[in-house]
Amino acid sequence: MNRQVAALLFGTATLFIAGCAVQGRPFEKASAPPDNAVIYVYRPYHYGSSLLRPAVTCGEDSARIGPGGYHAFVVPSGHEKIVCSVEGAETGDQVEIDPQTRVYYIREEFGWGVLTGHPHLNPVDTDQAHTEILDCFWFRHSSPCVQEP
Amino acid sequence: MTFLNSANADSRIKLYSYDSSGPASDGSWAGKRGVVMRVTFLLTLLLAAAVAYGCSVQQPAVAPAVAQAPARPLPFKGRLAQGDASELPSAVAMSLSSTSSVTFSYREELTHDDYHVPLIVSAFDPVTYVGAPLGDLGVTAFASLSIVDGDKVLGDYTAKVHVSKSYSLYSEPTHKEVEQAARAAVREKIDQKLYRDADRLAQAIAGSGTLPSRAADK
Repeated sequence: MNRQVAALLFGTATLFIAGCAVQGRPFEKASAPPDNAVIYVYRPYHYGSSLLRPAVTCGEDSARIGPGGYHAFVVPSGHEKIVCSVEGAETGDQVEIDPQTRVYYIREEFGWGVLTGHPHLNPVDTDQAHTEILDCFWFRHSSPCVQEP
Repeated sequence: MTFLNSANADSRIKLYSYDSSGPASDGSWAGKRGVVMRVTFLLTLLLAAAVAYGCSVQQPAVAPAVAQAPARPLPFKGRLAQGDASELPSAVAMSLSSTSSVTFSYREELTHDDYHVPLIVSAFDPVTYVGAPLGDLGVTAFASLSIVDGDKVLGDYTAKVHVSKSYSLYSEPTHKEVEQAARAAVREKIDQKLYRDADRLAQAIAGSGTLPSRAADK
């Protein structure tokens, strides 16, 4: 009886955890015209990941990225700095990116908040970002982040 | 024997007196115990609060560590060969001229080093809920400025500044704020280096036969 309950709980937990992860095509490099910057915003699926999906905006493009997802923003790079921002219910975060930058990686994370999680946009080095994007789910080894529309 | 008896009697008396005073002093003992418990509780609370606040990492404000000095132009002017005119150290920005033969090349680079306390640790740490830092956002700004006259390098300046700001459950800065603070601080450092070297630069430009650009602009 106890085994059956444990198995049921385990199955439900697995289904719950896997069910929260976003579905889509695995990570692939985006192509962009020469005068554009590509900004990859990805969100690794950690334990205790928040299910919040606030809109992330880079330039004029915006996307909602779920746990385990990424979005490639293709932004025209002029002379102005590119600003990526995310607004949570309590706080927000902003990152400025040099217009000369061709490829940039930002990790979206959620920290503790009083009532809801606080979104962070953390700029990440290319090497570290590649490693994290290719191993995006803590419960599925070597699974890359998946594309969010 | 008598002595022993008296001793026993004494002890009995003492015991008795202790027992006999029991019902009467129970209230006062309970009261005393209550006071002691309350004081202990208050002391524990105070100690916990002191530990909570005392152990929290005290971060300096985001303001740059370098003292702000009033900006003034350099004793010569130059043309911007590389860099964004709106993103320059004050001294360089105030000394720009499109006609000068002296050129400025300015470059800035930012690197980020954020630290976040793992959620599983902060969740069970009581100081989290008192406002202890949950991590910090760090930005290192590196800047380099070259001043060139023709093919002669008059000056090459570099500066590096690290700025970090912690965040808690109740307040947090944005990355942009920390980045801007780091940029401001590194520009201020470049400015200070330029001001210290301004006389030598002016002499070098005068010696190289380049028209003093201030005069040229006027």
